[in-house]
Amino acid sequence: MTERPSILVPVRVLEGESIPEGVPELLANAHVVVLGYHVVPDQTATGQAQIQFEERARKRLDKYEAIFEDAGATVERRLVFTHDGQKTIDRMITEYDALAVLVPNATRPPEDVLVAVRGAVGVDRLARVVAGLFADAGVEITLFHVAEADETADDVQTFLDGVTDRMTDLGLDASAITTRTGGGGAPLDAIVEAADEYDAVVMGESDPSLTTFVFGMPADQVAEQFLGPVLVVQREPSTADDE
Amino acid sequence: MGDRPAEVSSTGQNVAGEIPAEEPDAVTDEATVQDDDVELERTIGLTGGLAIGIGTMIGAGIFVFPGLAAENAGLAATLSFAIGGVIALLVALPTSELATAMPRSGGGYFFISRAMGTAYGAIVGLGLWLGLVFASAFYLVGLGHYATAVLDEVGVALSVNPVIAIGVVFGAGLTALSIGGTENTAKLQNGVVGILLVVLTGFLSYGVLDAVGVFGGGAVPETFFSQGYVPVLTTAALVFTSYLGFAQVATVAGEIKRPGRNLPLAMVGSVVVVTVFYVVTIFVATSAFGADQLGSFGETAMVEVAREFLGLPGAIAILCAGLLATFSSANASILSASRAVYALSRDALLPRRASEVNLRYGTPHVALLAAGGPILVLVATGEVELLAEVASFLHLVMYGLICVALIIVRRREPSWYDPTFRTPAYPLVPAVGALASFGLIAFMQRASIAIGVAVMVASYLWYRYYAGDVVLEGDI
Repeated sequence: MTERPSILVPVRVLEGESIPEGVPELLANAHVVVLGYHVVPDQTATGQAQIQFEERARKRLDKYEAIFEDAGATVERRLVFTHDGQKTIDRMITEYDALAVLVPNATRPPEDVLVAVRGAVGVDRLARVVAGLFADAGVEITLFHVAEADETADDVQTFLDGVTDRMTDLGLDASAITTRTGGGGAPLDAIVEAADEYDAVVMGESDPSLTTFVFGMPADQVAEQFLGPVLVVQREPSTADDE
Repeated sequence: MGDRPAEVSSTGQNVAGEIPAEEPDAVTDEATVQDDDVELERTIGLTGGLAIGIGTMIGAGIFVFPGLAAENAGLAATLSFAIGGVIALLVALPTSELATAMPRSGGGYFFISRAMGTAYGAIVGLGLWLGLVFASAFYLVGLGHYATAVLDEVGVALSVNPVIAIGVVFGAGLTALSIGGTENTAKLQNGVVGILLVVLTGFLSYGVLDAVGVFGGGAVPETFFSQGYVPVLTTAALVFTSYLGFAQVATVAGEIKRPGRNLPLAMVGSVVVVTVFYVVTIFVATSAFGADQLGSFGETAMVEVAREFLGLPGAIAILCAGLLATFSSANASILSASRAVYALSRDALLPRRASEVNLRYGTPHVALLAAGGPILVLVATGEVELLAEVASFLHLVMYGLICVALIIVRRREPSWYDPTFRTPAYPLVPAVGALASFGLIAFMQRASIAIGVAVMVASYLWYRYYAGDVVLEGDI
């Protein structure tokens, strides 16, 4: 059995967000960290919200924990009251060294998964997530790469073959992997368009830049348009301390 | 700083049968851990902490007091502000030490109740809540003066003086906004403080250059102690309201990231920054007009100073800055008052209901009303100096006791006590800090002292009636 990749599943636990259908099956082979969080406005002390809502939040988390365990995952859970949801999610990613974060959307029990591969950077973590989750699950994996202007078809094929090898090394069945190349255009649109035919998307996190600052992270944009679950593979944790 | 258990146990129950909330298991740099898997995230960084401190303080010292202080003490008002700054610094250092050892919400109330017992805690805690209520009312009356000055400037003539009405309207509006608003108020506060500092730095730099004669004029030398020596101290007592903000940083200590580093920097830093700004402001203001004439301008004297230097645009800039500053001070104080109510109700000194969170907005509506309601009544009195002094009185009592609490904790040095910041020149700093805090009270008006004492007595009686059995003292 391959190593279970740890996947963070953030849930706004008191705002009606729950574990959508199909997600427990998708993460059956994962080590799931269920993060129940509740964002309180600045006027409210986090402890105030805790006094009032802890019990209700706990009950919901108990339920979610059971759902994932029934599907076969190992589960850890945290409950956090915060003023800043993103900061809490980032902290949990670091604390659990989570390979990927799930943007939960409903799906059917997964049969085929689209894996968007951008470049050589981060391929190792991507492969660990995909192999860990789907090695024995009988799921069709499609590696998808959007060719850039200076890449020839041969370049792309060599690159994708390399990724395939990496994944089979980690225990995926080679026959379950197909490759596919998107031609030109904006990578993001190509991913969203291709994703339509699949049950879930696995993609890498992008480096923060001016564009991501203005338009948001590509992974979030994909999640918004795709309407199915998106697993966002996290960058290698940097050792630099900010602030 | 690693996981540090806050070894404080609290027992007993109040009249309603409520017991103090459980103490957390551990306190880390990024969160407070409550029974194992429940955490309270720390989200306020150094900038946020400084913005709370400076934002609360700068509104009063620069935009309301210069005229009043110059009238009372002459040019020596500069010295009054410097004295206030030194006392604030003497208290900020011990407060920083206690806050890094116990980075929990409630600030001064929390340390004193844990180090000295529930009775002191109740007096200080209820005093902190009401002190902030008085302070907010004072800022709102200041805001009313600035709004009135704006109306004058645009030529709207009113038959009645609208200062109090405007203050009441803004007070009600702010309370409603805090209850119903879900926008990011913290970011807004950071922005406001940034703008204020830029505007003031520009204005004061010009003023200083002018005063020393670079632009021709030069200031007329004046007798420094034109009103004698005693008014310097009474003025220091009056303007001390301009130094209350650093303790507000401690009231949100439970939400500050890396408290061991950020709490001392934010508290000491904000005191140093505002002291420099205050002293320079008074120097510039008095050198422009002379103390007597400045005093005749009252609460909005700074507008006239700006007009003298920079004409109408200067006056408009300072008017806008004054509105922003008094507004942000009032806002910050209302929020702190609501945090104080929460800290008290968490410890069963006030009904648990008082910190209840509104299901629709997620805001503590009862606590915010407990702050906003009395504020409106106080604004209606319109007594700027009285409101300021009572606010200072109640805070000074707390400051003095914080210094005493530090000495008590240090003498017993319990095993859990492990502050990352240690007060320099112990025990001199806390001893002088305590004496100076209590001493300054003596220079206040009789009426302010009477009201302050009445609040303390009422707080004690409330504690005896409502929560006489609650024990909050820490294991020291």
